[in-house]
Amino acid sequence: MSSTLEVSGFTQASFDAFIESRNEPGWLIDLRRQAWKSFLEKDLPARTEEEWMRTDIRLFKLDRFGIPTASDQAECSRPLLLEGVEVAGSNKSANGVSVDTSFADSVASQGVLFGDLSQLANQHEALIQKHLFTRAVNPHFDKFSALHAACWTTGTLLYVPDGVTVELPFHSLASLSGGTDLSHLLVIMGENSEATFLNETGSLHENDGGLHCGASEIFVGKGARLRFVTLQDWGRDVWHFAHQRAIVDRDASLQWTVGALGSRLSKANQEVELVGPGAECQVNGVMFTEGKQHLSYHTQQHHAAPHCRSDFLYKAALQDKSRTVWRGIIKVDPGAQKTDGYQRNDNLLLSGNARADAIPGLAIEADDVRCTHGSTTARVDDELVFYAQTRGLTKREAVRIAVTGFFSKCWTALPLTVSEKHLVKPSVAGFANVNNSHLVEFAMDTGCFSLRKETIRE
Amino acid sequence: MATEVAASEKDRIGEINKYDFQTKSEAVFKARKGIDREIVAQISEMKGEPAWMRDFRLRSLDIFDAKPMPTWGGDINIDFQDIYYYLKPTDKQGKSWDDVPAEIKETFDKLGIPEAEKKFLAGVKAQFESEVVYGSLQEDLSNKGVIFTDTDTAVKEHPELLREYFGTIIPPEDNKFAALNSAVWSGGSFIYVPPGVSIDFPLQAYFRINAERMGQFERTLIIVDEGAQIHYVEGCTAPMYSSESLHSAVVEVIVKKNARCRYTTIQNWANNIYNLVTKRAVAYQDATMEWVDGNLGSHLTMKYPAVYMLEPGARGEILSIAFASSGQHQDAGAKLVHGAPNTTGQIISKSISKNGGRSSYRGLVKVEKGAHNAKCNVVCDALILDPESRSDTYPYIEIAEQDVSIGHEASVSRIGEEQLFYLMSRGMSESEASTMIVNGFIEPLVKELPMEYAVEMNRLIQLQMEGSVG
Amino acid sequence: MSDFIRIASISDLPDPGKQLLEVDDRLVVLFHVQGQFYCIEDLCTHDGGTLADGDLDGTAIACPRHGAKFDIRNGKVISMPATEDTIYHQVKVEGNDVFVRLSDE
Repeated sequence: MSSTLEVSGFTQASFDAFIESRNEPGWLIDLRRQAWKSFLEKDLPARTEEEWMRTDIRLFKLDRFGIPTASDQAECSRPLLLEGVEVAGSNKSANGVSVDTSFADSVASQGVLFGDLSQLANQHEALIQKHLFTRAVNPHFDKFSALHAACWTTGTLLYVPDGVTVELPFHSLASLSGGTDLSHLLVIMGENSEATFLNETGSLHENDGGLHCGASEIFVGKGARLRFVTLQDWGRDVWHFAHQRAIVDRDASLQWTVGALGSRLSKANQEVELVGPGAECQVNGVMFTEGKQHLSYHTQQHHAAPHCRSDFLYKAALQDKSRTVWRGIIKVDPGAQKTDGYQRNDNLLLSGNARADAIPGLAIEADDVRCTHGSTTARVDDELVFYAQTRGLTKREAVRIAVTGFFSKCWTALPLTVSEKHLVKPSVAGFANVNNSHLVEFAMDTGCFSLRKETIRE
Repeated sequence: MATEVAASEKDRIGEINKYDFQTKSEAVFKARKGIDREIVAQISEMKGEPAWMRDFRLRSLDIFDAKPMPTWGGDINIDFQDIYYYLKPTDKQGKSWDDVPAEIKETFDKLGIPEAEKKFLAGVKAQFESEVVYGSLQEDLSNKGVIFTDTDTAVKEHPELLREYFGTIIPPEDNKFAALNSAVWSGGSFIYVPPGVSIDFPLQAYFRINAERMGQFERTLIIVDEGAQIHYVEGCTAPMYSSESLHSAVVEVIVKKNARCRYTTIQNWANNIYNLVTKRAVAYQDATMEWVDGNLGSHLTMKYPAVYMLEPGARGEILSIAFASSGQHQDAGAKLVHGAPNTTGQIISKSISKNGGRSSYRGLVKVEKGAHNAKCNVVCDALILDPESRSDTYPYIEIAEQDVSIGHEASVSRIGEEQLFYLMSRGMSESEASTMIVNGFIEPLVKELPMEYAVEMNRLIQLQMEGSVG
Repeated sequence: MSDFIRIASISDLPDPGKQLLEVDDRLVVLFHVQGQFYCIEDLCTHDGGTLADGDLDGTAIACPRHGAKFDIRNGKVISMPATEDTIYHQVKVEGNDVFVRLSDE
């Protein structure tokens, strides 16, 4: 933690002062107060709870953090997803304090709203009141969701009106260097609208610490299409607790790509609820860990309506003594007939000291469904590494290529403006920069870098 | 067991497993309902147990009291103080045939179970007369040094051997119901197979039946010494009828170097039963442990047979089938722990949900650090037969070693309309066609069963599909 | 392997007694039994949970959840359902001070 920050912990006094400092409508203040009450009443999750059994947060000290104030403002980390990308708008914050917002006039003139959520909350009260902490994220779910709902300072809003298509992507960056980030993301896609959103988090320095306790709420209206990219690349000492929930309506589609690389410990709940017939969702997630990182992602694909499709793929490659937990559920409500649900988790252990836990789950209450899941764990094939070495690559390079190949299936859904380099490069320097690129292409083309074929059935 | 047993099979196992009942009468023990230190001490005293076992029971009771109810699995709604924890044989066998509910009798008839066995299964006291056959089997086994007795007798007659292993595979702390069993256990089988001895016919729990075997808290301990082989079979396809609503067994199996053990269970509990069972085996170097586990009936079954592969080359295989119908929740599964290099595991799970039944697969595959070259494959398939039914799958996979190959696949589906249409176009009724498809679905399990069980299993599935059972 | 870090005074812990301690971003359990100090990682290798709240019987600590036992003198597993040793940390006592040297994870 940076010593320049003034930290008081999340005390009643600091909350009162925070509320005092906010010039917010009554309903929002009420919502914050209710959430604060929940926050005070709830304990930090216990290890006995199924969700937290594999994630030890006893070394996390909540009182070392506090509600961000203007004095916490810091320099932003470098926005990786903006490299070489033209955007419709970008909104940045650092240590929980809004830094700057850009928004193309040509897009604004179509009725699109984009920018800092705390500012827009005052100007577009009705729209935000209808969506904020209503159907997507429940403020009272646990102590973290309550803290977030009570004390969020900044965030990003994107609203795309009915029938509007925005070609260029929107971008948001939350940066954290020793402070507290409680940012909120609210995306509201009107009927038959279309957009792309690039959401990233990062830190100035690789080993920065801090606390992120955030939430994302995504509404994809009837017939709308949203492509959403999340890159989590916090400093390696950041505690990351997040609730992310998308609600996808009739004939709408959500394509969500997740790159989870950073943080010291992550516990993220990512849920998609398909609420109208014909809704579709595809999630592709990559976890790439090193050192002693612990990444725990809990996904849920909830089929609440018939004739919906969901397809979740999470791949993790683990180095050193890192650990990943992926727990996924396909939940099919009674009456959600003709559901097509798929989930898969593949793990690649690059070290004998890493550990990967996979808990795919199916909870099915309709009979006319097709739900499948699969999970594999393997290591990089010795033969493949040997082969690559005979072609002049170092072992390390060979392993990198194998990992790239392992992840490649997750990138197929990426928006054209974002390449896999954007997502994996930050984690391991030179990861995607194997010099012998024609050899890599050759290797990929001939399929010799697919992992142990008998266990990886695509 | 069944009437339709192949002649050759009959010659080999004979009818010995049918009528062998211990008829020795013992003093009636009028235990009161409920569980406390007094009851537990009394059970131990009634059995004339050594102090160590009494202390083990009392310590287990403390653990049982301290442990919370599981918050996962099924909804357990049991009043522990409204159960008789110890019933002497005479109490239970005093029941008359007239007390047995009509639907149970009817099912016996449909399954073709002989009169004498029907009565036994229903807990009715009956006359039996094949001591001789049983005696010769027992003699043959004991000539080979095999010990096959009930666990209560083993406490008295084989104290050192029993004590060396008892409660070491499943300590009372393991879970609330293992603690309960450890406090009030009664009956169950104790088997020791000496090095190199191979028993080539399935040993059936019926061989060893005395009234206590029918207890709700049986405790089974099987030790298969180096290079030995055994196939143990428990249960039957007829509905187990019991006036008590809780069945909670503990089964511990030790499979030593190069040994092999298969443990087959087919159980079909009456609809009021909570069937909460802990089964675990350890397999040492190049040993093989197989669980074949079929679960039907009951209000709630929670059962996850486990194999811990502790030395190189050990193998664990678990085949599980669950059929849940109206008012039934089968929360069944399997656990494999790879604790050594070159260990191999396989889990095949098949579940069927029908008439509002709920079946869940809950399993664990764990590869510990250093378990190089561990290989494990898990396949779970679930079939849902109507919109009221439910299926869940929760496989846990924990891998802490890189040099492994682990795969898991699961699918949930319903009977394909094309399949049905095809069969019906060949003149089958929808029910017949469904039954045929379900039979095909559980084929991998049925073919592993001893012949008479396979026959009964198929017949039982047919009854279940017709909706006349359960 | 790290250097020796002072983690307690002899008088901090009764005999027999145990204490959960945070050392260098890790959680360890320090034991005081029959005049000796021992230290193991606060980790039951069965389910990854904590051992600190378990019952201490001589030099054996029992996991409070499922009853796995470990020898506090060397981290060796003694009883199912755990099958893997837990991490043992070297302890030395100088004067009134107890030091521990953390082993690698």
